[in-house]
Parts: sequence; structure tokens; C-alpha cells
Amino acid sequence: MGRVVVITSGKGGVGKTTVTANVGASLAKLGKKVVVVDMDIGLRNLDVVMGLENRVVYNIMDIIEGRCKISQALVREKHLTNFFLLPASQMHTKEDVKIESVDEIISIIKESFDYVLLDSPAGIENGFRSAASPASEALIIVTPDVSSVRDADRVIGLLENSGIEGISLIINRYDPLLVHKKKMLDANDIVDVLSLDLIGLIPEDKGVIDSENRGEVLSIIAKTPAVQAFENVAKRMEGEDVPFMKLDIERKGLFSIFRRK
Amino acid sequence: MGWFGRRDTKSVAKERLKLILVQDRALLSPSLLNNMREEIINVISKYLDIQQSDISIQIQRESHKTILEAIIPVKGVKR
Repeated sequence: MGRVVVITSGKGGVGKTTVTANVGASLAKLGKKVVVVDMDIGLRNLDVVMGLENRVVYNIMDIIEGRCKISQALVREKHLTNFFLLPASQMHTKEDVKIESVDEIISIIKESFDYVLLDSPAGIENGFRSAASPASEALIIVTPDVSSVRDADRVIGLLENSGIEGISLIINRYDPLLVHKKKMLDANDIVDVLSLDLIGLIPEDKGVIDSENRGEVLSIIAKTPAVQAFENVAKRMEGEDVPFMKLDIERKGLFSIFRRK
Repeated sequence: MGWFGRRDTKSVAKERLKLILVQDRALLSPSLLNNMREEIINVISKYLDIQQSDISIQIQRESHKTILEAIIPVKGVKR
């Protein structure tokens, strides 16, 4: 029976969907059978980020409302045979979703997968609640800024009250140069304030936009520091003790990559 | 260093965050907290002689749990 993990943040635009696609891909590269579920009903994006928009036939609401079987709605990723997308509906709104129905569908799906990653919408309303409800673990995504960390703290409180067990932190869009200049919160600051276990530190990577433009998941087609960081998240989820990458700017190799372009 | 005098902006950000989160994490409004405080003092005063001026009652979410902390100095037992 698979692990059900919600990927959430409170604040929008911090990279939940990108992290979902790339952590999902990294777990799949480790040989795990993975499905990523777009829970952003009415504003679906995971299909576009993964370049699968033309292959979507059915969606999660079609399953819930009985128009198709689960297997008919799953879209296989283009390169990895053990990596699937369950798209959101674009026609419905978040208020149309019944939490019990989502719980039921996910509990069936998790029987056939090692990982079910639920890409939560921003906010703390119905959409977030129906994404969090089936999950027993959570990945909190923050960017190193005051508003993102503040919203994350709110979400962490809600998740703890709802009884979710393993809550881990991913810091996204980390800029080692700004951190070095003391113009950006560093990883220790954020971990200190939120008192969560850090499971991922993802450096800012221009390649993310470039690959999403083309409808490819960066972690599947490239080998950059961000990709390595995503792979490390997957390994840590699998229980491996992976040291955090040295992102300080003295390390010339990494620095030159950040400066490229 | 610019806008915030000599301090680096990341320290400013962290200080601001800490203050914001203390407020955000407060579960009760100040008036409700005050009501609870009054009632707690009333109940305890029935049994114990307490130092009213040094009482501290706080409710806060810390990592993974919420704690109600009441520090109430006791002068003696009521007979």
C-alpha cells in the first residue's frame, strides 16, 4: 500500500506544482511506481507542467462522478513508464468536491502505487482541505521570504490539528548568492522559525522555466543542481541519509552554474 | 548596507517573522485570554493564597503541540 503525501504551502506561486512533478519524477527514477494528482480543481496546471495536456481524456471528477474507471483517467508520463498523472477537472470548482469522495478514490488508488503525491491548491479553504484529507504525510513548500514562511506556519498548524503525522519542509528557489550576502533568509533561519524537519533545499534554477516551456519535467531531461536536490528529496523520503548539498558560493563549481546565462 | 541601517536584511526578515508568528499562533483573542485568566485566578484563589501581580498565563503553539503555560506564585494555602 502506497504512501499518500500532500504537497502544500498556503501561499501561491512558491512552486508546489513544479516540486510535485520533479519529486514525483525523482521517486519514479528510483524505480517507485508514482502517481501525481492535481487537486487544483478548476485551475489545473500539473498536466501542462508535465507536457501531458494533449493526452488528458478523463479527470478525477469523472472518476468521482462515475463517468470512467480510475485506470482510464491516469495519464502515463512520456519518458517514465512508472510515472502517472491524475488530472484535475477544469469545469468544476473546488466547492464541487466532496472530501469523502476524494478520500475514497485515493484510498483505492494507493493500493496500486508506491507513492500518491497530491498537488494542493494555494489557500486554506476547501481545495486545500480536500487535498490534505487523504494524506498521511505532508511536504510544506516555502520560498525564502517572510510572506511564504508566514503562510506555511498557518498551514502547518492546520495540518497538525488534522492529525497528519510526517510533516517535512522543502525550501524552494533558494539563492545561495543572496544568502551569502545576507539578503535572503537562510535554511537555518527558516527551519528555526518553523521547527520542521528539512527534507529538501532546492536552489533557484532557470532551467525549470525553460523545461516547462517545452512541457518537460526538468528532473527527467536534465542534470542540474536543482535536479540533484530533487533527487535527494526522493532519497530522503525513501529513508536514505543524504547530506545536504553545499550551496555556499565558495564552491566554485556550483556557483558557476548559477551564474550561467 | 542601505534601507535598514547597518543590519543585513535577512536578520530583519527573521525578526519580523518571529514577531508575526507569535501573534499568528495565538489561539485566543486578547479579550478571551483575559476572561480565561480572570476565571483561572478566581478558581485558584478559592484554595490558594496567590501572588496576583506576578501571574503569567500564555497559550502558544510550539513545535508539534500547543501549550497553555500558567505561572502562578503561591504564597500559602487558604484554610
